Amino acid sequence: MKILLYILSFFILSISPFLGEITLHFSDILNSDSTTYTIFWDLRVPRIILAFFVGGILALGGLIFQIIFKNELITPYTLGIASGTTLFTAISIVFFPFLYITISSIFGSIITVLILYFISKQINKNSIAVSTNSILLTGIALSYFYASAMMLVFYMSSLQENYSIVRFTLGSLDTVGFTNSLIIVAVSVILYFVISYYRQSIRLLLICNDTAFLKGLKVDKINLVLLVVVSLSVGVSISFVGPIGFIGLVVPHIIKLIYKKSADKLIFPVFFFGGIFLVFSDLIARNLNTDSTIPIGVVTAFIGAPFFIYLLIRRNKKA
Amino acid sequence: MLEINNYNSSILHEISFSLNENENLIILGQNGAGKSTLAKVLSNLIENDKVKLFNENMNKLDDSKRALYINYIPPKLSIFDEYITLREFLELSFVTKVDNEKIDEVIKLLNLKKLEDKYCKSFSSGEKQLLLLASSIMHDAKITIFDELTANLDISRLKEVYEIFNSDLLKQKIVITHNLDLAYALKFKILFLKDGIIEFFGSNDEFFEAVNLKRFYKDTILKLDNHLVVNL
Repeated sequence: MKILLYILSFFILSISPFLGEITLHFSDILNSDSTTYTIFWDLRVPRIILAFFVGGILALGGLIFQIIFKNELITPYTLGIASGTTLFTAISIVFFPFLYITISSIFGSIITVLILYFISKQINKNSIAVSTNSILLTGIALSYFYASAMMLVFYMSSLQENYSIVRFTLGSLDTVGFTNSLIIVAVSVILYFVISYYRQSIRLLLICNDTAFLKGLKVDKINLVLLVVVSLSVGVSISFVGPIGFIGLVVPHIIKLIYKKSADKLIFPVFFFGGIFLVFSDLIARNLNTDSTIPIGVVTAFIGAPFFIYLLIRRNKKA
Repeated sequence: MLEINNYNSSILHEISFSLNENENLIILGQNGAGKSTLAKVLSNLIENDKVKLFNENMNKLDDSKRALYINYIPPKLSIFDEYITLREFLELSFVTKVDNEKIDEVIKLLNLKKLEDKYCKSFSSGEKQLLLLASSIMHDAKITIFDELTANLDISRLKEVYEIFNSDLLKQKIVITHNLDLAYALKFKILFLKDGIIEFFGSNDEFFEAVNLKRFYKDTILKLDNHLVVNL
């Protein structure tokens, strides 16, 4: 099954740039005078690279958040980090149009994760263990707060700004040239490197925080480092492609159900198949013969949710 | 060597005692007396600066050094990942280099061979207790605190645990239990907690004198011919 999945993935990756509103032919992609050349190298390839690495970041980010908070429902999205990022992006669209959007997005994600971290520390002063319920509730409360703040921003914005915000929240992988893609690749490499570096510590965190502490791990420090690095990466991704949900929740679960191994051994597959999942979703979004591309977030949820439910039912039958 | 000096909190009051090197201890007390809290204080899971391990203030110790000194085994195995196998869990239990031969030995000793590659999350509560015991042997701290390790074990397993507690497999042990037969048979020094206060701290023989049994357990426990009998 795993080998089959890898073969399928490479197949998707290789056909993906040729399919779209305009179907491209393999023979033209090296002919620099043709439109095919321009579409292929300036639009399709950067887009697929962007999709692959954003997918990887979101999936791996979900996996790490689930480990830190010891709860399988937690992702950077459920904790309000995505809505924080979106809110600050909207604020910068309306009030600080001269500011580079990425900066305010990152600011939004970092500030949210710090609020979450320190509130949860405040609640559990006496114990190393972070109570996941309280942090999940804090995340939900923050999301509501951000939602109302977002309404306020909408209310105060002009029609044009309003439209930009809505387009941003729908999510889009549109990109021209390699700049954005390469930034995301760099971010992915850093994220992947940091997580691999802490792999041994992550193994201990997979048991529980108390055990990790008793084995001499600096639990608080490692959790904070991982939280900040993941939130930064997710923040950068969101600033480029908008809040694309569902990948961080579904992909780690699917990979766990297929591999049946502890999460520290799944860092690569989660990243890789997270990437493939987004490339595949984007492939569908671009090829449904509508007048314009369907928002990518819609597609990820449409594919992800039913497949996820199918896997859950199958798992419970076996158990 | 372990020393705690005048620790106070909302649960525990004026806790002071000390143990010499290799002096084992049993902690007894009713539900809610503060036994587990005391264990967490001793292992710094509840952060404090009142505990000294081998003459060094525990809170100032480097985390990795503290791990060599003290380990706490919780009453229930708490494990987040569904797919960690028994063998992987034992590998993770080492604070120094992983010793595969030692893992094999302990798996054999505790009869865990058939569970070796099974996922820990699917174990029964008794199997989880045995896994925790095995992990404490891997960790091999200078002092190990066991919190209700024997609660879910059948009689033959209890006997095995008793043998291990009674051997030199583990170094210094602090055992929290409700099982008075175990406490009596192990002959360790006894600490009795009541409502967060140390009511008794002394030798095993002294604790199990009729006067003291009457004092701590009213008429529910009697000693007949060197055996304890519960009088319900």
